[in-house]
Amino acid sequence: MAKLTLNDLRKLRDETKRNMSQRSTEGKRAEVVIGMGTCGIAAGAKAVFDAFLDEMSKAGIEDVTIKQTGCMGLCFSEPTVEVICNDMPHVVYGNVDDKTARRIVREHLAGKALVSDHIFDKPSTDIIKNAGK
Amino acid sequence: MHATLCDLMTDMIQNAVEADATMIELTICGTEEHLEFEVRDNGKGMDRETQAKAIDPFYSNGQKHAHRRVGLGLPFLFQTAEAAGGAAAIESTEGKGTLIRFRAKTQHVDLPPFGDFAGAAAMMLTLMPKGEMKITRILSGEGYTLSRSELEDALGGLNSAGSLTLLKTYIASQEEDLRKAG
Repeated sequence: MAKLTLNDLRKLRDETKRNMSQRSTEGKRAEVVIGMGTCGIAAGAKAVFDAFLDEMSKAGIEDVTIKQTGCMGLCFSEPTVEVICNDMPHVVYGNVDDKTARRIVREHLAGKALVSDHIFDKPSTDIIKNAGK
Repeated sequence: MHATLCDLMTDMIQNAVEADATMIELTICGTEEHLEFEVRDNGKGMDRETQAKAIDPFYSNGQKHAHRRVGLGLPFLFQTAEAAGGAAAIESTEGKGTLIRFRAKTQHVDLPPFGDFAGAAAMMLTLMPKGEMKITRILSGEGYTLSRSELEDALGGLNSAGSLTLLKTYIASQEEDLRKAG
């Protein structure tokens, strides 16, 4: 691969946008938040990040953002991934590995069905705003 | 323990983000003898007492998780450096920021693998919700710098799967060029 410049990157972005606009997307809108605290990193959050990126690219899902956050207070079930879809329940998945991340993309983001066997409810109460007050 | 050096770097970047830094600089220098990296941020910093406690695995300030009694990020860094013939250090000023340094012997048997830098750097650059991050990678005297603001400008946003994939491709091309030059 030749060394890319920022201008090459702009061209690739424009090319990708043109390709995306030619596909018939259904207007999916969601946010995937990967726990990237010490616990998440140690448990393999990087591999999960790579799997989401790869599977979303393969599925042509462009209108879902991938973000990262610190520890969600669920260290026992790392890697954890929060998925916020406009038209679905807001959930936190636990014990997510490469295979599960790909299932979340195919079943949750594309198929609009929860991956029930990995749901861990919501972030730990000690980090929810105003918890304990 | 973290599996790779890239994991250690990501953890330090996450610490800087949680310290509300708006400017984070990661510099990585590799030679045949030593592998060094430092993370400098302008976040809230720590007083001397907290700095001393921060390397104790059984210390956490309790601000984010009220009942937590462990904090493993910095202890992992120190343990890895010391196990691999090197050292780590913290310099911090409350209200001004923190500098974390890591140094280890490149050929040491206990040095973890470096890891996938293109993927890790893409993650690090998108860990910050806003602000500037610069990552400088130097290998045997040759190097390149990634600027979050420049990349965001080129890609028009960094958090979509498409942008992140292009970002990884871009960083991988810099890495490949660097390795050829080295």
